[in-house]
Amino acid sequence: MLRDLSVRCLFGCLTLLGLSIFGFALLAMLPGDFAEVVLINQMDGELPSAETLAKFKADEGFDEPLPVQYFAWLAATLRGNLGVSFTTGDPVTAELGLRMVATFRLVGLAFCLTVLMGGALGVIAALNRGSLLDRLVTVVAISGMSVPNFWQSLLFVLLFALVLGWAPSSGYGGFSHVILPATVIATASMGLTARFVRASLIEALSAPHVRTALAKGLSPRATLFSHALPAALPGILTLLGLQAARMFDGAIVVETIFAWPGLGRLFVDSILNRDYPVLQATILVVGATYILINLAVDCAAAALDPRMRRAV
Amino acid sequence: MSLVAPRTAPTAVQPRRPTGLSALTVVALFAALVVAGPFAAPYDPAAADFFNRLAAPSFAHPLGTDQLGRDVLSRLLAGLWTTPVAAAAVVVIALATGSAVGLAAAVIGGPLDLVVMRLTEALLTIPALAVALAIAGVLGINLSTVVVSLAVVHSGEYARLVRNVAIAEASATHVLAAKALGASPLRIALRHILPGLTRPVLSVAAFSFSFAALSFAGLSFLGLGTPPGSAEWGAMIAEARSHMRAHPHLVLAPGLAIVATVLLANLVGDALGDRRARPSALLSPPVTRKDRL
Repeated sequence: MLRDLSVRCLFGCLTLLGLSIFGFALLAMLPGDFAEVVLINQMDGELPSAETLAKFKADEGFDEPLPVQYFAWLAATLRGNLGVSFTTGDPVTAELGLRMVATFRLVGLAFCLTVLMGGALGVIAALNRGSLLDRLVTVVAISGMSVPNFWQSLLFVLLFALVLGWAPSSGYGGFSHVILPATVIATASMGLTARFVRASLIEALSAPHVRTALAKGLSPRATLFSHALPAALPGILTLLGLQAARMFDGAIVVETIFAWPGLGRLFVDSILNRDYPVLQATILVVGATYILINLAVDCAAAALDPRMRRAV
Repeated sequence: MSLVAPRTAPTAVQPRRPTGLSALTVVALFAALVVAGPFAAPYDPAAADFFNRLAAPSFAHPLGTDQLGRDVLSRLLAGLWTTPVAAAAVVVIALATGSAVGLAAAVIGGPLDLVVMRLTEALLTIPALAVALAIAGVLGINLSTVVVSLAVVHSGEYARLVRNVAIAEASATHVLAAKALGASPLRIALRHILPGLTRPVLSVAAFSFSFAALSFAGLSFLGLGTPPGSAEWGAMIAEARSHMRAHPHLVLAPGLAIVATVLLANLVGDALGDRRARPSALLSPPVTRKDRL
């Protein structure tokens, strides 16, 4: 168990390393000279002379070989220095902290909605498989997966904010501000989760040990909660870990529409404004978060299911 | 509520399910609509008529006109050549590269297999749209960079699926029987392993089509996909957004077009998905390798 965990952690670290190379390469891949872009930005759009540019490159280490630049950049990044935003001129780290809180509030609520609603729908469908209710859940789940989140956001704003006036149409604030965007983000994941929980539970229910438990006279409720659901849980956890990543994709669009000051909106703004330091920092933070989430999910699944401990 | 399913007698031969055929028919009909649709447009989708802006639906304009007086129906039909075609391109590129990589991993095995599985797992865990957007954002945003970025991100899914199914099939009884009968490796690959791959791969293709279509429309909505003013459904919604309250049909019509396209793909994927397939086998743990191809 300990050995497998350390192998998993090792692969997690390797993925983080890969992510950092990807993040660094993003700026190295930029068409044109990145040093010139930075300098033009520092000089408020003025074109620097050749000497100024050469001096800037020598001072900032831009004329070193790429691997040397990478390690210098990595050392700075690990110390929490993610550079200065092109648009605001402030250090990126301070901005990121505020944005992360906003996104975690939004995605956290969406994740809870997904687990509660998707899980409940999936269990109901699995216990009534083949019935009208099962088909209804299937239709709802597949429809939820088919609605574009930006369109759903607009319809929600139109209906719940403009017509009914139940919730504000945009902005940062308490529960009434977060419920509409969170529901939009949760809709797609909810459908997929419900489908997956249904299939996993049906698979678990057909296992011999469930039949044995029932044959020995255990009540259906106890069989479900102590024999079938625990068997289905590790797979469901893995799916939920992957769903967490999909939710940031949702947050990119939804935060932009609802003017929610989170990482997703920062990400889109940084692309539109060509604010490369912010773009790089966002990718790093989001990527690292999801690598850690999936590592935690893998460990939890391994702890729950002895069969998965060997499968690294 | 019943916990245990009624037991059916195992049959020697699984009956052919007709869903595959009907799913193919639906796909063929939709493909025909995509190819022919834009030719059926009653007006030029880009022709603005400033004296006839935001017109309600009428006989001349069945879905009305938008904020520049352009015919909404014509723009919807012209949109068939953007999002569905881009999504199909993503699927084709991802399927070809992903399957090749997955097959290579299954056949060659060893370190290559390990590297492929780790890389594809990383692709699965990282937010796909964000990565695609970052690549496209740096390389310059246009149709082809968005399509290629989405395809890179999607290819991992195919590689994992093809690799896992191929290894599982290689140790299945019918393949062992064919081997015992002296069939050549090529014949085994083509006649005994490939048929088992088609259905799950097509199912994943349908789901990744819908995901790519949603991503692409979403990027266009944000102004990061197609050039401004083009007849793309997501971009149409973005442009009509400020008129949403007074003229909801401008937002409803393109949205319903996206929903219909994606719902169709999801239903096809659902019908093609093997109902007997164990969901736990699709994610992890990887298939144990008992037998080599």
